[in-house]
Amino acid sequence: MLIRPCRAEDLAGIEAVVSENRSQLSTLPRDRAKLQERIEHSMRSFAQEPEQNGRAFFLFVMQDSTSGEIVGTSGINMNNDKSRPFYSYRLDELIHSSPKLNVHSAVPVLYLTHELTGHTVLSSLSIKEPLRNSEYFSLLSRSRLMFIRQFKKLFSTQLAVEIQGVQDDNGQSPFWDSLGRHFFDMDFATADYYSGVKSRTFIAEMMPQHPIYVPLLTPEAQKALGQADARAAATCALLYREGFKSSKHFDIFDGGPTLLGERDELLTIRQTQQKQMRRSDINMGMRYMVANQSLAQFRCTLTQMTDGIGEVLRLNRAVADLLELDDGDDMTYVPL
Amino acid sequence: MMYIRPIASSDLDALYHLAQHAGVGVTTLPANAELLAERIELSERSFAQRVPAQRANYLFALEDAELGRVVGVSAIEAHVGVDDVWYNYRLSKCVNASKEIGVHTTNQTLYLTNDLTGCSEVCSLFLDEPYRLENNGRMLSKCRFLFMRDYAHLFGEKVIAEMRGYSDANGKSPFWEALGKKFFGMEFSQADYLSGLGNKSFVAELMPKYPIYLSFLPKEAQEVVGHVHDNTRPALAMLQSEGFNFNGFVDIFDAGPIVEAFVHNVRAVRESRYRQALICKHPPEADESSEYYLVSNGALEHFRAILVIAEAVKADTLALSAEEADILQVEMGDMLRVIPMRYKES
Repeated sequence: MLIRPCRAEDLAGIEAVVSENRSQLSTLPRDRAKLQERIEHSMRSFAQEPEQNGRAFFLFVMQDSTSGEIVGTSGINMNNDKSRPFYSYRLDELIHSSPKLNVHSAVPVLYLTHELTGHTVLSSLSIKEPLRNSEYFSLLSRSRLMFIRQFKKLFSTQLAVEIQGVQDDNGQSPFWDSLGRHFFDMDFATADYYSGVKSRTFIAEMMPQHPIYVPLLTPEAQKALGQADARAAATCALLYREGFKSSKHFDIFDGGPTLLGERDELLTIRQTQQKQMRRSDINMGMRYMVANQSLAQFRCTLTQMTDGIGEVLRLNRAVADLLELDDGDDMTYVPL
Repeated sequence: MMYIRPIASSDLDALYHLAQHAGVGVTTLPANAELLAERIELSERSFAQRVPAQRANYLFALEDAELGRVVGVSAIEAHVGVDDVWYNYRLSKCVNASKEIGVHTTNQTLYLTNDLTGCSEVCSLFLDEPYRLENNGRMLSKCRFLFMRDYAHLFGEKVIAEMRGYSDANGKSPFWEALGKKFFGMEFSQADYLSGLGNKSFVAELMPKYPIYLSFLPKEAQEVVGHVHDNTRPALAMLQSEGFNFNGFVDIFDAGPIVEAFVHNVRAVRESRYRQALICKHPPEADESSEYYLVSNGALEHFRAILVIAEAVKADTLALSAEEADILQVEMGDMLRVIPMRYKES
């Protein structure tokens, strides 16, 4: 399995991966024209075109190097575009208190906020179902952190990940039904679709602008607030292991939690090392994620290696070819 | 004969009796003897002009002259929100629209406001059960406008009335259940009682300060916003006939409507006329089809009002019996203010 930047010819493959998802990724809508736009956007970002500053979007694909099939996607959003503020709800508590009447109560309130604008967001994670519980899931997700580690200055010091909120078997979101729906008169899937094809900000700007008193939401919506959907359990587990933590931020549409992590404290970023590479026939040792050091031609895969005390690390020829590495090139690696 | 006069300290027992039968949702007359005594005292000082006009509260009593007993009351609060803070919700609309995605939704919002601060308020209208006849209620309601017509400088530019909101047979308000109770778990009857004790602004300060999207409330609660309690329908109809309108203000506890009018536009204020007292031995007598006029003597501290039949109201004069003149404390030739009890449709 090879992780690399997406290319124009990946369109059909990406479409196949995202169409398998039960719920849509707002960054990768099920709409061919939009997907193509996103791929082109990512290609400009990898090419470091200057107008991409702030709104860069890096979309990676995971490709089966034998069959050539695209089996997964993952992305990084720069999300630093002031013309497209990033909306989330921040949960606060207000104390309603009257010493005179001896009544005191704490009321949870959701405030619409742009606070996360400028935060680098890990996004677009999608994988073919048979691989969901494999080590490739980890490769797909964590390879982004290896990328961020190498090009730190491009990214914010705190990273965010939005976790899918609770949906029932029909794809309805109790949080949306209690909140957003009153303002759109459409079901969650439809709003979500528009959020993908128009823009998240476009939809967000139509959401109620006043703070929302949580006790006024339906009991189902209150319960869903901050809950990850069962299908996101693996994603959450992986992110918690990395050092991401739940925050006071929640998705404004489905109430799903937003996890935040200090970039330089994340496990993968802390453990990633760099050494010179030498080709060899060796094919034994521990499982590692290895990557080259190119931005535009970033490559990352899983392999077995034996790390010693020397300056040079031997890497299987086939893997080196896959990563487009020559003897003497630097590579980065991290234990799986 | 029934007549209206300012309340007096000797009326305390009668007032307490009335308050005991007022029931939930009638916040301005709590059954608390001490508070009622204070209320009477404030009214006496108000009629005597011994309180700052801003703080005045005028309490009118309907007395059955034969029994010498007060059987009903009504009041004018000269200016609301002067001593404490006067809260209301204002019902607004918020429209969400995008042609691109075919969305056009209207959501109603409730904004907490103090917009009605400084208005005069007509309130506390009560009648003892056996006296709940239409003319009695109408006298108590209407006499206040004759009073306001003569002493407009003591009142605000606008006059409002808080109408009792909907509550069910058990005294539960669906609006309160959906909003106030969610914020601090207090029962409506308790909030109502505290309000009557003069703690309304304290309770109000526990309420949500940000606008409330009405669509978040259960249907039962949404439906009662701006709706009156069944018992209050006649009172509302009467105020509407005086030109009061509902402009979107509702009570923060039970969402009952607040109706309002400019004082100078209240029909009784606009259409009342002067007549000279003509005391005669045989004034016209009432029969079943008689139409009535309300007459006031135009006095402040010794304000009096009674009903007379329409035939007694002539082009320039008003025919009164000696007894009527006595109650009104007027003499031959004194000026009186008259207004029809019922308006002819125009």
